[in-house]
Amino acid sequence: MLNIVFYFQVHQPYRLKHYNVLDIASGSDMFDDPLNGLVMRKVAEKCYLPTNKLLLELIRQHEGRFKVSYSITGTAIEQFKLYSPETLDSFKALVDTGCVEIIGETYFHSLAFLYESNEFLDQVMMHRKLMKDEFGYDTVTFRNTELIFQDRLSDLVYEIEGFKTILTEGVDRILQWRSPLYAYKNYSKDINMLLKYYQLADDIAFRFSNRDWPEYPLTVDKFVNWIDHLTLSENKGRNQFLNLFMDYETFGEHQWAESGIFEFMRHFPAEVLKRPNLGFAMPRETAELANYQQESLSFPEPVSWADEQRDLSAWLENDMQHNAIETLYDLFEKIKARGDEKLLRTARLLSTSDHFYYMCAKYFQDGDVHKYFSPYDSPDQAYIYFINACAELEERLLR
Amino acid sequence: MKILMFTWEFPPLISGGLGMACYGMIKALLSQGIKIDLVLPTKEFVYFPMREPSDADTLPVVFVDQEKHSVYTKKTFSTLHERMDYIGITEQPESYFQLADIRRDSVALKREYWLSETVNLEERELWQEMTTNLIGDEDLIRKVQEYTLRAERLARTMDYDLIHAHDWLCYPAGMLARKIGQKPLIVHIHATEFDRAGGPGDERIHKIEHAGMTYADKVIAVSQYTAQMIMSRYRIDTAKIRIVHNAFSVPEDAVVSKERIFTGPVILFLGRITLQKGPDYFLEMAERVLAVHPEARFIMAGTGDMSRKLLRRSASLKLRNRFLFTGFLNRKQVERVLRASDIYVLPSVSEPFGISPLEAMAFGITSIISKQSGVAEVINHAFKIDFWDTDLWVETINHLIENPQKRVKMGIDGMHEVNRIQWDEAAEKIRLLYSGTLAEYIRQA
Repeated sequence: MLNIVFYFQVHQPYRLKHYNVLDIASGSDMFDDPLNGLVMRKVAEKCYLPTNKLLLELIRQHEGRFKVSYSITGTAIEQFKLYSPETLDSFKALVDTGCVEIIGETYFHSLAFLYESNEFLDQVMMHRKLMKDEFGYDTVTFRNTELIFQDRLSDLVYEIEGFKTILTEGVDRILQWRSPLYAYKNYSKDINMLLKYYQLADDIAFRFSNRDWPEYPLTVDKFVNWIDHLTLSENKGRNQFLNLFMDYETFGEHQWAESGIFEFMRHFPAEVLKRPNLGFAMPRETAELANYQQESLSFPEPVSWADEQRDLSAWLENDMQHNAIETLYDLFEKIKARGDEKLLRTARLLSTSDHFYYMCAKYFQDGDVHKYFSPYDSPDQAYIYFINACAELEERLLR
Repeated sequence: MKILMFTWEFPPLISGGLGMACYGMIKALLSQGIKIDLVLPTKEFVYFPMREPSDADTLPVVFVDQEKHSVYTKKTFSTLHERMDYIGITEQPESYFQLADIRRDSVALKREYWLSETVNLEERELWQEMTTNLIGDEDLIRKVQEYTLRAERLARTMDYDLIHAHDWLCYPAGMLARKIGQKPLIVHIHATEFDRAGGPGDERIHKIEHAGMTYADKVIAVSQYTAQMIMSRYRIDTAKIRIVHNAFSVPEDAVVSKERIFTGPVILFLGRITLQKGPDYFLEMAERVLAVHPEARFIMAGTGDMSRKLLRRSASLKLRNRFLFTGFLNRKQVERVLRASDIYVLPSVSEPFGISPLEAMAFGITSIISKQSGVAEVINHAFKIDFWDTDLWVETINHLIENPQKRVKMGIDGMHEVNRIQWDEAAEKIRLLYSGTLAEYIRQA
């Protein structure tokens, strides 16, 4: 049996405004509320609301056989409440079906894991509490920001009671000859691991509307046939998992409604469920479904799902990114020592990984993706505003 | 006396010291009874007839095209800014006339015609030098071509006693006006290509500078430093050169009292971020001072072709949030950043004058200036250091951070000193030069 595991990332950052040196100490807000509201309402209208409606219909129609999972960041939940409360309600309706799993992550979608273990654990616990409060859901599966993973992460996550499974990218340099279709264990064999099948996931997330792609247009028939073919080599009755992990904004936002992405999704589950050897599963079910000795994988270096390199270079490559993030985590220490909750909250909003993503200056193909998501004209601008915000934060500490 | 004046910058159309200098100079000349018709690289083909000192602020406009002018006079504008927008000058440097505004078919100067009009070999050589070097496809060269063509039309239709042209961008215009109007030409050197480029620079610009200065009846240099430069590098006849130092008058509506942004001491660089201004030395100072005084903040205010390089380098030096960039600042923002600063530095590699330190001093900021600058000739209450002597710059900044009382005293002394350097005095010298030049010209003719 091959189980398709859908996992969707739902995230919106608090974008910084064009925050200049002369704004420091002026008492003006750092974050661009009008822009953040605008983006949230736009994405809710184009993606969250129509996609949630569609998936709810599909879940009801297939009576428990179609399942999906979500990770929703704390900053996204907060902004739902501010700008699109109906979106939050529609997520709650989905969770109530029982066919939706909510996945744990850092509340602020941060890179804290790489810099401050305690801050990382704090943010994970904040997120877990938020999921309990909003959805009445106890998270048992974990995914770190942008699927960043490394052996050390599983140690930290294992410390937190309740997490049984971690999601990450199916990176070739780790898997080598192995298939991402099996459930693995982390290096210390404590935690179940699912690895994204990036070829097929990215067919939907990145290539779906690309007319230069030889396989364009991607039909449900074609895609399900590809999936079916994956099962041909497996004949020992072992359960496999096709992990299709992607940004939720794929639906209607990155791939516009006109591309046919919603029609694709509407007919996809029925076509899958027609075939006796295919089905759907949620991440929390996979540890039990894994009816074989799970091999353990070691990730000595961090991996992620971003860009072609699938490493940290989208956020932490150039000098601007390094100086910016080191400045921020230096401040964390001072702010925590001071115990000022308001400052800590601001520092945490600045810890959201998107701020560093905007500073990415890689030139080839991926640069375009960065540019698409950035509210600024250039990586330099993003850096300047962020550093100014950090200067403001430090002044508030001194005042 | 009526002057036809050509310049490339004027508030609110400013990108550097040239605009500031022209503003102060023109306002003071107007108050001494000089009439000025000012020509700027505006989007619309206009000139600014200035008669009263207040005209330097209100900027009365005449459209050269009569129909356009009557449309303009019927319009009402609620603010000066709105009116400036209509003419095509705002505080952003990008608001100079753009290439799209320039008619492609009209860019060529009628070179053959002008060469045939020359009366002797010497004149012919200068015209040859100017016209052959005013050729190129670069944005700036094409803008100068357009500006020069406009000057030709103005020179034929307007009345004037004398022509005054500022910096090389306006020298071809000045040369044409002299030829057409048969009136004396004064060229004003605010900076040479050697200063701007911090090296040999563009050969064509040197040639245009040489032609303009040689063709002019008098040459005004903004400092002894610059006078030396034009004698040694351009071989300009010493008898023609007059030195008139720039001045600085605090705008009437400016507030100069301190308004801190940062708790720690603030060290300011203010100017174009180009090789000439020594921004890389500023960064090196910052790195070394911050190692001793992490509470200090270094602000790099302005824009320029080295901005990106400096930004990336400051990040690679891991200067955290202690080295900050403002980007382009308008006048009000410049005043705001001055009020927030404690120490001003001007590490220019070559600075013909440098008005910016006078402005900083007028705000009571202790200043450290490059010895390779004209401004060093007129002020005493500032530290003067060779631009390359980073050890001494760092030592001085540290000393001023560690001795705030001394710093404040130096700042106040500097403020008093600068308040005595007024444009009236400089304008007086220029006015006398106007009448002297005119008398000489008439006598020769």
